[in-house]
Amino acid sequence: MKGSRRESRPAGRAFVPLLLPVLVLLVWQVIVSLGVYPEFIIPSPAAVLAKFVDVLRDGRLLANTWVTLSQTLAGLIIGVALSVLLGYAIAKNRLLDDLFSPLIIALQSTPVVAYAPLLVIWFGSGPTSKVVTSALIVFFPMLMNTVVGLRSVPKSLRDLMLSLRATPWQMFIHLEVPAALPVLLGGLKVSATLAVIGSVVGEFVSARAGLGWLINDARYNYDTPLVLVAVLMLAVIARVLYAAVGLVERRMLAWRR
Amino acid sequence: MIVRNHRRLGLLTAFLLTFLLSGIVSAQETPSEQTLFMTYVPNIQFSPVYVGLEKGYFAEAGIDLVLEHGDEPLGVDLIAAGEHQFGLISGEQLLTARGRGRPVVFVYEWFQRYPVGVVTPLESGIESIPDLAGRRVGLPGRFGASYSGLTALLSANGMTEQDIDLQEIGYNAPEVICVGGVDAAVVYINNEPLQIENRAQQGDCGDVTGVRVFPVSDAVDMVSNGIITNEVIIAEQPELVAAFIGAFDHALHDVIDNPAEAYLLSLTHVESLPISDALHEALTTMTADQAAWLADNPLTDPASRAARRAELLSQLKADFDVNELIQFEVLLATIDLWDADRLGLTEATSWTLTQDILLQMGFMEAPLDSLESAFTNDFLPPMNEG
Repeated sequence: MKGSRRESRPAGRAFVPLLLPVLVLLVWQVIVSLGVYPEFIIPSPAAVLAKFVDVLRDGRLLANTWVTLSQTLAGLIIGVALSVLLGYAIAKNRLLDDLFSPLIIALQSTPVVAYAPLLVIWFGSGPTSKVVTSALIVFFPMLMNTVVGLRSVPKSLRDLMLSLRATPWQMFIHLEVPAALPVLLGGLKVSATLAVIGSVVGEFVSARAGLGWLINDARYNYDTPLVLVAVLMLAVIARVLYAAVGLVERRMLAWRR
Repeated sequence: MIVRNHRRLGLLTAFLLTFLLSGIVSAQETPSEQTLFMTYVPNIQFSPVYVGLEKGYFAEAGIDLVLEHGDEPLGVDLIAAGEHQFGLISGEQLLTARGRGRPVVFVYEWFQRYPVGVVTPLESGIESIPDLAGRRVGLPGRFGASYSGLTALLSANGMTEQDIDLQEIGYNAPEVICVGGVDAAVVYINNEPLQIENRAQQGDCGDVTGVRVFPVSDAVDMVSNGIITNEVIIAEQPELVAAFIGAFDHALHDVIDNPAEAYLLSLTHVESLPISDALHEALTTMTADQAAWLADNPLTDPASRAARRAELLSQLKADFDVNELIQFEVLLATIDLWDADRLGLTEATSWTLTQDILLQMGFMEAPLDSLESAFTNDFLPPMNEG
C-alpha cells in the first residue's frame, strides 16, 4: 500500500521542496545584481560560496561545526533522557505534577538567552555550559510531550492490559511506550532543532570554538560572507538532525502505516 | 490539491517578495532622527553625551538626538549602511571595518589616551612588562580593545602572547585578581584598578594591598574611542557632522571642567549611579563652587585641570564612603584619558601604529589603500570655542 502510494506521486513532485530555496537564491541574486544594498550588507551568493570553499579548505568550518554538533548531540541526549524520566514520573503521579508544573511552566516561558550568561558563569566558558544550555532548551518541550504522550494512552487499552494481569513492566513496554511514541518522536523532532539553538546561544555568550563563536568572530571582523556560511551550516545541522529523527520515526512507527 | 498547492506557493512567493521589497524601501528612507550608537549600557563614561543632551547643546545645534546601545560591529554596520548617523566606536574597529569595505570615517578622537592597561597586585613582584614573562595574565577574551592593547604593550617590550600564560577570564578581573586566580590582568585603567584598590582597602581582596598599573598609552600611542560617521553623510551633510561635533566638544569641555555637574546631569541617564541625599547636596555645592572658581581661575592646560580634579576628589573622600564615590572616581579617571591640549584631534602616526598592530594580530589582511581616508580633523571646532 505504502509503495503504491509513493509510486503514484507525480514525477516532478520530488523537486517541490527545492523550489523555495531556488527562488530565495534567485531573489537574493537579483537584489545583489540591482545593487540595492552594498556588498557588505548583502554579499552575493558567489561571495558566500567562495567563502564556504575557503573555510572548508582551511578546516575552520568542519572544526567549528564538529564542536557545535557534539555539544548539540550531548545536550540533546542528556535533555531528552532527563525529561523522559521526569515526564514519566509526572505522568504517573499527580502529586509530582502539582509539585513540578508551576516551576516547569515558569521556566519554559523564560527565553534561554535570558539565563544563558548565568549558565556560563556557573558552568564555565567551556563546552559544559553549552551542553547544559542545550539540554535545558530541549528539556521542557520534551517533558511536556512525554507527559501528554503517556496520558494519551486510551483507558480501554489500559483496562484490557490490567484484565490480562499485565505487570507494570509489560504495561510500560507493550502499551505505554508504543502509545506514547508518536508524540514522543514528534517532540524529539522539535527538540533536535532546539538543541542546536541552545548550543549556539551558549557559544554566543562565551566560547573559543563552534559555529556561534565563528559567527561572532566573523562579525567582529566584518566578514559578512562568513557569517552567512556559518548560519547556513547551522541550518544544515538542524535539518540533518530533523531528518534523522524523521527516519527513526518512520522505522519505529512503521506498524502504524 | 495540486492547484491549491500552487496557490499556496504563489502566496508564499508574494509574501517573500513583499517582505524583501519592504526591507529595501525602509533601508532607503531618510531617517528623521539622528541616532548616536554607543557600546555597552548607559554608563558614567558617556557623560559628555548626557551633558550635551541635558544642557541642550545638541538641540541648539538642530539635532534631535536618539541614543542606542549595542555591540560595536552592529553599530559600525548600522552607521555604514546609513541607518544611524553617528557612533562612539574604537579606532581598531573602524580600521577593521574599512578593511572590509565599510565606508565609515573617524571624525573626533574622544579618548586621547588608550584606556587599556595591565593591572597587577603590589605583592605579585611584577614591576615592569618584561616581568610578565611566564606569569598568568587574565584577559576578557581574544577580541576587542583589551586584546589589541595587550598585543601592542607586549610588542613594545619585545614580547608576544606566547611569552605569557594568557587566560581568558571575561570581565571579571577584580574578582579573579582578589582570589589570586591570575598574577595580572588586562583591564580598562579608569575602572578595574579603582575597584580592586577599594576592595583591598576594605580588606575584601585576599592578600592584595594595592595595585600597580601599566597603561598601554605609556608605551604606544594607539587610536582609541571616538566619533564615527559615514562617507555619504560627510559628503552630503557636512554641516550636520560639524554641528554634532561642536555640541559634543562643548559638552566634553564642560565635563572636564566641572565633573560634579556632569555626574549630577548623568543621574537621569544612568540609573545605577550611587547617589545619596548627602552626596547630591555635596555635588550640587561643588558644581556651583567650581563654576565660580573657574570664572576666576581659567584652567588652560590638562595638568592644572587634573590637579583641580584631584583636589575636588580629596574633599569628597573626607566625607563619603569609597563605595558611594566609586563611580565619581571612575569619571575622574576617565577624564584623565580624554583631556588634552586639543580635544578631538586625531593624528596620522597613531593610525599607522594601530593599523600595524591589527595587521600583526591578523585582524586586518592588508593595509588600507588609503589610511588617510579613515579619519579627518576637518570638523574640529576652532580652539577658542568650548
